[in-house]
Amino acid sequence: MVDVGTFLDVVVSGVGLGALYALVAMGFSLIYKVTGVLNFAQGQLALVGAYGVVLFATPSILGLGLPALAALAATIVLGIVLGIALERVVFRQFIGEPVLSVIIVTLALGGIFTGTLRFLVGPNFRAYPQALQPGWSIPLPFGASVSAAFAIGVVLSLVVVVALMLFFRYTVSGSILRAAASDQQAAMVLGVSIERTIVVAWTLSIAITAIGGILLAMARGGAGFSIEAVGIIIFAAVVFGGLDSVPGAFIGAIVVGLLEELGRSYAEPVVGPGFGQILPLIFLLIVIVVLPYGLFGTERIERL
Amino acid sequence: MPCGEYFTDYEHREGLFRWRIQRVALVVGLPVPFLLPFVLGGGDINLLSRVYVFAIAVLGLNVILGYAGEIVLAQGAFMAIGAYTTSRLIAVEVAGLPLGLVPSVLIGGLMAAAVAVLFGLPSFRVKGFYIAISTLALQFISEWFFNNGNAAFIHGGSQQSLPGSIPLFGPLLVVTDDDIYFIALVGMLLFALLSLNLSRTGIGRTFRAVHENDLAAAVLGVDVFKNKLYAFAIGGFMIGVAGGLFAFNTRFISPDLFTLRLTLDHYVMLLFGGLGRVWGALLGTGIVELLRDLLRDFFSAVAPNATSLIPVVFGTIIVVVLAVEPKGVLAALGQLKEYLRKWPYAY
Repeated sequence: MVDVGTFLDVVVSGVGLGALYALVAMGFSLIYKVTGVLNFAQGQLALVGAYGVVLFATPSILGLGLPALAALAATIVLGIVLGIALERVVFRQFIGEPVLSVIIVTLALGGIFTGTLRFLVGPNFRAYPQALQPGWSIPLPFGASVSAAFAIGVVLSLVVVVALMLFFRYTVSGSILRAAASDQQAAMVLGVSIERTIVVAWTLSIAITAIGGILLAMARGGAGFSIEAVGIIIFAAVVFGGLDSVPGAFIGAIVVGLLEELGRSYAEPVVGPGFGQILPLIFLLIVIVVLPYGLFGTERIERL
Repeated sequence: MPCGEYFTDYEHREGLFRWRIQRVALVVGLPVPFLLPFVLGGGDINLLSRVYVFAIAVLGLNVILGYAGEIVLAQGAFMAIGAYTTSRLIAVEVAGLPLGLVPSVLIGGLMAAAVAVLFGLPSFRVKGFYIAISTLALQFISEWFFNNGNAAFIHGGSQQSLPGSIPLFGPLLVVTDDDIYFIALVGMLLFALLSLNLSRTGIGRTFRAVHENDLAAAVLGVDVFKNKLYAFAIGGFMIGVAGGLFAFNTRFISPDLFTLRLTLDHYVMLLFGGLGRVWGALLGTGIVELLRDLLRDFFSAVAPNATSLIPVVFGTIIVVVLAVEPKGVLAALGQLKEYLRKWPYAY
């Protein structure tokens, strides 16, 4: 019943999808590691990335009509600007506020992003320009193949995870980020500018998330509001990997992508359509109960 | 104006209505909402019924979030469970007699409470953020579940219509959907009273202790896990009841009505009014719901797709409220009153 070729196909697209999720998930755990903000707006930030290309490439919306690659670059710049702006305008007000406030603020920001995008582009699916719909795919044994968006995603997220690990370990700014993450006050005493550090973290995080959103949209041929759901699915990835571990987020995202594709291919005919995206959530609930600190997360011990 | 606030015994200190002016306000103010249908038109009454129904749900959220301090992001899911249970039970006949609206709604509330407790179980080990994401997962699972045709044998079809006239208890007291105004009003008043009493009795104080510092509460001998589950059960019940009444109010239910946006709306209402305050929850629900109505009229007059900017306005309200006055508009009013009382000499 289980055909090898089909199974391999499912596994390959699962890993590909997981690699795209990994970008968004790494954006989440990067910001959590450095600032302690639990960003519930990751899905909407990915959405901003996905629709950013549409915004810049379609003349009728902003009157720009840039060529595809320029739109791509403009979107990444938009992500960076958004990172700086969000930190300056919003998150600076909430340093030292309770977790509840920060979580609700990120949820509210998510609502703001979605509402603005809906106003600008309307509720419908928007196809990407032809230049961003690569037709090629890499053939694999047993008749399986990996599509262009997934291939780019796998390579890119591997590059990002390795680059981030090297950055954290071997560069001065990386050490500063780690220092700020482990003890903000001690880092400040040693002359680290926490404000600049946090801006760097937000910029990196949102740029990575926006790239993840663009690739997720490329994998579907265009941007749709269903990309928002990635915001909850990556929670399964980051909780499984350990909240504050970037490599953990990568591994967790691959597992979650695999689960989603396996669920979509093998469980959906039985349980009902859409179960692929539900399976990671069930996995998330199990992880929360069994292994709340994940694979590589720091266990927090509370004292009075 | 009295020059000070004095209580001579605990009975008055802990009473529901502590000042003479509050008793006067009760006697004068309570009949007003009951008389409104004789003054206002159908559209306004419809809006007010929705305010009352949402107020019940926001009061439920207030019990979980405001009293016990657990972040629950499954408002839509709990209301959907209440609504679909009610919709199915209304059609059920026991021994040839219909069940009636009130028992159906109450059973819907119990179902929501059971699910709330089930998803509160992880709070045995984890808290805060983890509860937030496990309930957020519940929200997405419930949207999928109620959209899923394969599960129709449980929820009875994802889009359902309710009859326009239903007996209240068993076969007795048939009401039509014009009477939902009074049913929702009475329900809201009962649940407001319940919340007020909850907050000034032992269990409410235990909830607050768990909220402020669960570790310290545990050291002082409070069973934190049990009390969190109580909060989930009570709050979930109220939200489920609100879902059932909402179903009868709109007479049509579909999963699109119970999305994450509903959760966010209720957060705006509660945070705007004031977290942990019953009057804040009621005031916030009223103001935000009226504001939404105004905004919808305004935006749809400006451009056809501008109504999607409503979440933007609400999101901005949340961010501004949390940044400026996290205790809500009621606390801000209290500060204003205090300032004016001492004006012009601030001592």
